[in-house]
Amino acid sequence: MNRMADEGGIYKKMATYDKRWVYLALFVIVLYSLIRPIGMPIGISAQTKAYKAELDTLQEGDIVFDTWNMEFSGYMELKPGVLATHQMFIEKGVKLCIAFGHYEGVALPTEVFKQLRTWLDDYDYTEGEDYVIIGYVFPNEAAVAALAGDFHSNVRVDWKGQSIEGTFLDEIQNAGDFDMISDYTTGLATTFIIRHIVLEYDTPMVVNSIGVSVPGHLANLDAGLITALLASTRGGAELEYLINSPGPGLKSMDAFTFGHYSLIIFIIIGNIGHYGWTRRSEYKDRTGIR
Amino acid sequence: MTNALFTIPGFAEGRLIGLLLLILIFVLAINFMGQAKLPYIRRVPALDAIEDAVGRSTEMGKPVVCSYGCGGFDYWTIAGLSILGYVAKICAETDTRLIVPTGGSSDSYIVREAAVDLVRNAYTAAGKPEAFNEDDMPFLSGEQYAYTPGYVGILVREKPGTTIMTGSHWSEAMNIAEMANGVDSITITAGCYTSNMAALACASDYIMLGEEQPAAGAYLSRDPAQMASIRVQDIYKFIAIGTILVGLIAVNLGSDIINRLLST
Amino acid sequence: MTVLIVSFLLVFVPYFIPWGPLDWLSGKLMTIAAVTNAFTIVIAVYSQFRRSGRFINERRKGWVYHIYLLALLAIMTLSGFIFGQHVGVYEWLLLAVVTPLSSVIYGILAFYMSSAGARAFRARSPQAALLLVAGFVVLMYQAPLTGAFFPGIEGMATYLTDTFGMSVSRMFSISVSIGAIVLGVRMLTGKEVAFLGFGEGDE
Repeated sequence: MNRMADEGGIYKKMATYDKRWVYLALFVIVLYSLIRPIGMPIGISAQTKAYKAELDTLQEGDIVFDTWNMEFSGYMELKPGVLATHQMFIEKGVKLCIAFGHYEGVALPTEVFKQLRTWLDDYDYTEGEDYVIIGYVFPNEAAVAALAGDFHSNVRVDWKGQSIEGTFLDEIQNAGDFDMISDYTTGLATTFIIRHIVLEYDTPMVVNSIGVSVPGHLANLDAGLITALLASTRGGAELEYLINSPGPGLKSMDAFTFGHYSLIIFIIIGNIGHYGWTRRSEYKDRTGIR
Repeated sequence: MTNALFTIPGFAEGRLIGLLLLILIFVLAINFMGQAKLPYIRRVPALDAIEDAVGRSTEMGKPVVCSYGCGGFDYWTIAGLSILGYVAKICAETDTRLIVPTGGSSDSYIVREAAVDLVRNAYTAAGKPEAFNEDDMPFLSGEQYAYTPGYVGILVREKPGTTIMTGSHWSEAMNIAEMANGVDSITITAGCYTSNMAALACASDYIMLGEEQPAAGAYLSRDPAQMASIRVQDIYKFIAIGTILVGLIAVNLGSDIINRLLST
Repeated sequence: MTVLIVSFLLVFVPYFIPWGPLDWLSGKLMTIAAVTNAFTIVIAVYSQFRRSGRFINERRKGWVYHIYLLALLAIMTLSGFIFGQHVGVYEWLLLAVVTPLSSVIYGILAFYMSSAGARAFRARSPQAALLLVAGFVVLMYQAPLTGAFFPGIEGMATYLTDTFGMSVSRMFSISVSIGAIVLGVRMLTGKEVAFLGFGEGDE
């Protein structure tokens, strides 16, 4: 054992492995789990249950400000939550005013509503009647503030140039008239919405956020600025489970699990190598004892 | 919502304390900016790392890559520009090639001009205006995920000895820091978002956490306005700590006076 | 500077002293700001054409890519205006080119974070060991399977994120907000003029 440590051996390999092994292992594990999911159980967090409970308070005819503050890359992470949330909205008969915080949002509705086609047909959920897409209206904070204060002065047509007059949006004078804000965010206009709508009009807001932004949003959640938070792909998968509608989230949870466990294994390997070789080498260098 | 202690109808209802705190910021900031004696700011340890790293690059004959962030003229970008000016000065004095990738957002167009002037002035002040090369400050893209591969490409092709990422970097920071590590570059970063800091702390050799970046920028620039900012922030941190402690004690004694005061 | 100060007051004052006409004026100003901001895209496109044109004329390094850039810029702009954003070339370019490219760059983050985490999480000292334990707990919680078999992990992980993690976020929010306000004070008092396009010593 000592001879192995002296020469390095397996401990040295464990301490100094090439990171490309990590990439390869992660790639193979995640890919295999996505192609052949096992369907392992998942735990449901209290946060997701609270998110669903908040959406359950909506009644038919309520008007929700649906803010898509995400690019396409962020949508890939938020997809399960976006689809599951919109399924709930469609089933409840909630009216949606969809706004984008990024120019890539222009292509998002095509993608999202393609996935929701079954629900749209089953519940006869139509554009213009049940949902209106007002387009890319949040390029900056001033735009959010302007729209919040006077909706119809700032938005007169939808994303295709058709007038919004005569739709359910006639009831909206300012952002306080919305019954809820449903935000899907990679960190774009969410803070602006909190400042100019939530703080001003006390409109309840639920947020579906990418994983890296969750710690930042937890403070808002704790302060009551956000009423519920759905965290990343995993939160979306949990919501799919709760509404009994398996989708892309649940399918990817095996990959999620194995990916995390493989990272933990690499960390353990690195630490074994650290104690078996790196620390001994540093000790020898420091004391001169061989 | 907690009941306010009192309200003045038609005047800052529910926002009076906020207004008073804002006015205090104005007064303190203007006071400190006008003082002849600059407020004391300790030297941030990462600055020593920057000097050592640039020195290492010079010895190895490798360039230094230094970026000031992707944002517009915000709090972090100004700090990033101060640090860029410092790095440009050292590089000009030691004849080390400096590469400054610019871009990353639609606001970065405006900041780029200021950065180009800053670096040009640093070379001129060092007596080497001919060494300044604007081609070494490429504008990569106004789009974050197009800027990222451009930056990574520069790292892979040029193999810098030092990579310094300051200012406001978002999710691309991890990509860049890890790739810089991959080309054996000393990586010095500044984490300005909670989400970024943890990841950058793993990937970087040295990191300036949060407020250390503006403090480093203020320390280097010796700009009274920037140093006044740091001093005012410190004062408010103490006010916040005091309020939290008093509030903790009050709540445990069954009083919500601090909650009501802050709601006034 | 006068415009800056007047604009600031027009937005600042109505926030604390609600008065109908002032609220209306403030709203109009924000609308104007939003519209003006949108027009900066036009300036950006013009600047890009000018810059790329210079690169191509002078055959500077990478000039070929500038031809490619201008061609794509023209195609997307014209196709969006002529055919609309929801059909044809514009949508195809967005869905088939922009989307996969940005998704890949975002997806690569997972690999980089994994390799960085695997490299950095070493118990080199007692503090690092403590961090390792905390990271281990949170990582285990993030794997959905763990919660199914060990429900207690949620309590442990949320304790760490809701106390230490949240306090850091809050501290940052306070500091950054104060910093942003003081930056505003610097701008209003003329100490920070770079954002106006003036350099040092310019009027």
